[in-house]
Amino acid sequence: MSPRDFTAPADADPGVLDTSWTCVPVVTGIGAVTPFGWGVQALMEGVNSNRHSFGGLSVIGAAGQRTSLAGEVPHDQAALVGGVFESMTPLQRKRLARTDGFALAATHEALQQAGLDRRALRARGARVGLFFGSSTGAMREGEDFFFDLRDRPEGRVAVSRLATQQNDGPGDSVARHFGVGGPHMTFATACCAATMALEAAWLAIASDEIDMALVGGADGLCNLTFAGFNSLRAVSENPCQPFRAERDGLSLGEGAGVLVLERAALALDRGATSLAQLLAVASSCDAHHMTAPDPEGDGVARAIERALSLARVSPEDVSFINAHGTGTPHNDAAEAAAFRRVFGDHLEHLPVTSTKGAIGHLLGSAGAVEAVVSVCSLLAARLHPTPGSSGADPDFGLDLVQGTARALSTPEIGLSTNLAFGGANAVAVFARAGFEVRGAARP
Amino acid sequence: MKREVVITGLGLVGPFGLGTQALHSALEEGLAVHGEMDRGGGFHLSDSALSAGLVDQSELKQWLDPKTSRRMSLPSRLAVAAARMALEDAGFGRGELDRQPVAVSLGTAFGPTEFSVRILDQVRKTGPESVSPFLFMESVANVHAGQIALDNGLVGPNATLTQREAGSLLAVAQAHAYVSTGSATLALAGGVEEMAAIAHAVLDRFRSLSRGTHGPKKGQEQGRPFDLYRDGFVAAEGSAITVLEERGRAEARGAKIRASVRCAVRASDPTASAQNWGRDAIGLAQSLGAGLDRAGVAVGSIDRVVSGASGALQGDRLEAGVLRALFGEDLPPILTPKAVTGEYGAGLLGAGVLAVGDQGRWPTPGFEIVDPKCGLRPHDGRPLRPAQRVLISALSAGGSACWLVLDAPALAQDSQSSPTDGAAGEQFE
Repeated sequence: MSPRDFTAPADADPGVLDTSWTCVPVVTGIGAVTPFGWGVQALMEGVNSNRHSFGGLSVIGAAGQRTSLAGEVPHDQAALVGGVFESMTPLQRKRLARTDGFALAATHEALQQAGLDRRALRARGARVGLFFGSSTGAMREGEDFFFDLRDRPEGRVAVSRLATQQNDGPGDSVARHFGVGGPHMTFATACCAATMALEAAWLAIASDEIDMALVGGADGLCNLTFAGFNSLRAVSENPCQPFRAERDGLSLGEGAGVLVLERAALALDRGATSLAQLLAVASSCDAHHMTAPDPEGDGVARAIERALSLARVSPEDVSFINAHGTGTPHNDAAEAAAFRRVFGDHLEHLPVTSTKGAIGHLLGSAGAVEAVVSVCSLLAARLHPTPGSSGADPDFGLDLVQGTARALSTPEIGLSTNLAFGGANAVAVFARAGFEVRGAARP
Repeated sequence: MKREVVITGLGLVGPFGLGTQALHSALEEGLAVHGEMDRGGGFHLSDSALSAGLVDQSELKQWLDPKTSRRMSLPSRLAVAAARMALEDAGFGRGELDRQPVAVSLGTAFGPTEFSVRILDQVRKTGPESVSPFLFMESVANVHAGQIALDNGLVGPNATLTQREAGSLLAVAQAHAYVSTGSATLALAGGVEEMAAIAHAVLDRFRSLSRGTHGPKKGQEQGRPFDLYRDGFVAAEGSAITVLEERGRAEARGAKIRASVRCAVRASDPTASAQNWGRDAIGLAQSLGAGLDRAGVAVGSIDRVVSGASGALQGDRLEAGVLRALFGEDLPPILTPKAVTGEYGAGLLGAGVLAVGDQGRWPTPGFEIVDPKCGLRPHDGRPLRPAQRVLISALSAGGSACWLVLDAPALAQDSQSSPTDGAAGEQFE
């Protein structure tokens, strides 16, 4: 799509949101590091098995914690020295924060699938962007530094461990390592950060600023978020059960997800395989409460409606929803309310699942990992189940996928939703690679 | 993007005071940022830098009542106050935008660090179960953008970016994308920062802060953009919020237009390290040039640069390299407001907006001797022709970069004419 296609209609009301344009880049590579392991294969085998990945805390101390269950990325020595880390010196590897490692590994996997490497990205210069999401950056290493500092304030506590402490650390590591020359930014919009990063990348491609984007997120378990979510009584002492009748809180996890997003014409030119199409992304805010969602789900509903409108699809066209689904009483209820408003009667035939039921809440990187899962769901025409021991909450009216993975009869359009602290909401609409988008030229 | 986006409001909080007049006066007086960090928290080395640009919090009560204030951390208060100022400046009454699809887009380098420190102290001293839920809520980086939305009932996209020194401009660029694509009818965009003791101490440990260790002004901690004897910046806190809206809407309601956002250009320098600026000035200049070209902006039509140079050794060198590579021999006057605003707190953004249509009587306090490795001299404060097209430049440690081009309201959108001469920046080999 050329910039001229962006011209607002002459009679467009400047006060009304515009849905007159569209842009459909494609996903050509995906990568993930999750509590199920390093790689997309480990992730999908895990989520399709109806297992959860939670175990006892070891990354941070469990003593004194209200709960002690979390989804930790397993240590994998081979993964830590192979792949993207092969070219690094031991010192360089040592200086990486855990979340940097997650981000780099997931990006490497995605780029390999897309048939790209550092040289290819550098050759494209400023036409390649980096859009990331994170809530914690390398907070855990920062915490170690802080605790050391408290113990010996005048001591020469090594600042090197803070090398990538900031929230933008993982994204910056990816941009530097892979030679990104275009827009380079990290979103910190809590639990929908990565989906908002996806929105920014999509808008950048649509406006002809870039041709390609590395979009993702990375987050790691740390004392701040673990104790913090527990202080809100938002964490379950047992594995979370999204949308289930007996849900009583979320489970925290860590990891990274990355997608390679590019213009369809570019992918075609260089012989890359399109895994899926990104039809639209939209975001909104509840402006209701800082930590609790609007119980009516108004903000989520509006974001879904706008995304569907931009995607040129109707609610009945949607084949499945990969929901935010944290397992907290309020979030799941609000999200279900939003689904009922948007999808009406279609909802009872619309398979819904929550990846968080299997890997936990990955905070700022959740949207990226769940986007990866959504792409895989379209590719395999199958939606993974949401683990849980109790039945689905009957008040929600959802067709929650339970027990076994479900074949999708019409694997055309998938929705991925994310809600965040501060009332932010973001929704992405993916389509099967061959899906014909109505009335839109491909970029 | 075909929707023209204009700036109709500006709210400012910083060590210079509150509001546009306070910053403008400080810039014209060349009042170097000053203030002293409380080092009693146990984070600083004994020989650490002392200076910091801190906000006089007592002034905030002009904009925030005590009941509102006590629900928020300092950076939330700064952001909400600046947002209220910006909306008033734009001519909106309180509550006028309630439930409207207005976006909020904020940049912050470190997020709410003070509350994070308190949480970790609770974890360490009394155990994780003692962590306060209020502290946690206000320790999340996007809480300030959320508080602005909640304060005004804004239901459009709500974005927070953490990209250090480039964060505020990137936030404006993102807001520009929301408004120009019709994803929001209007946006509040800018940045916020609190300079907590821990952040100050860590910056000092990384040798980022000026310690006044050498040169003719030895003993004076000061950010000296482009100066030969610069030895770091002075860290500061504050908030700057702009109101961005589609031009047609602004004109329809009779709003005063401060500037038009001609374009935003974003790029990255992969030669940067995790905690420092990179070296690829040519690459960044090429990216900037390509972006300007795509937006139909002739380099020669830019008649003022508002530079993010702060006194950082490598940062200023990179900035100078980019400007010289872009403009060649024809450097326009270069204003360096961070000598007044300090680094962080979005003072650069605020100054950039104020520079539009301004005569630029902004001297650069602390600058005395040209660094040959920078090869340029910032503006000395002589009056210039009112700026018609301003380039604001922000390069960040870690590699990100963002530039905004702001046009004076009267400048035709498709004009590529070069304004007649003002005092040009001097260039040295």
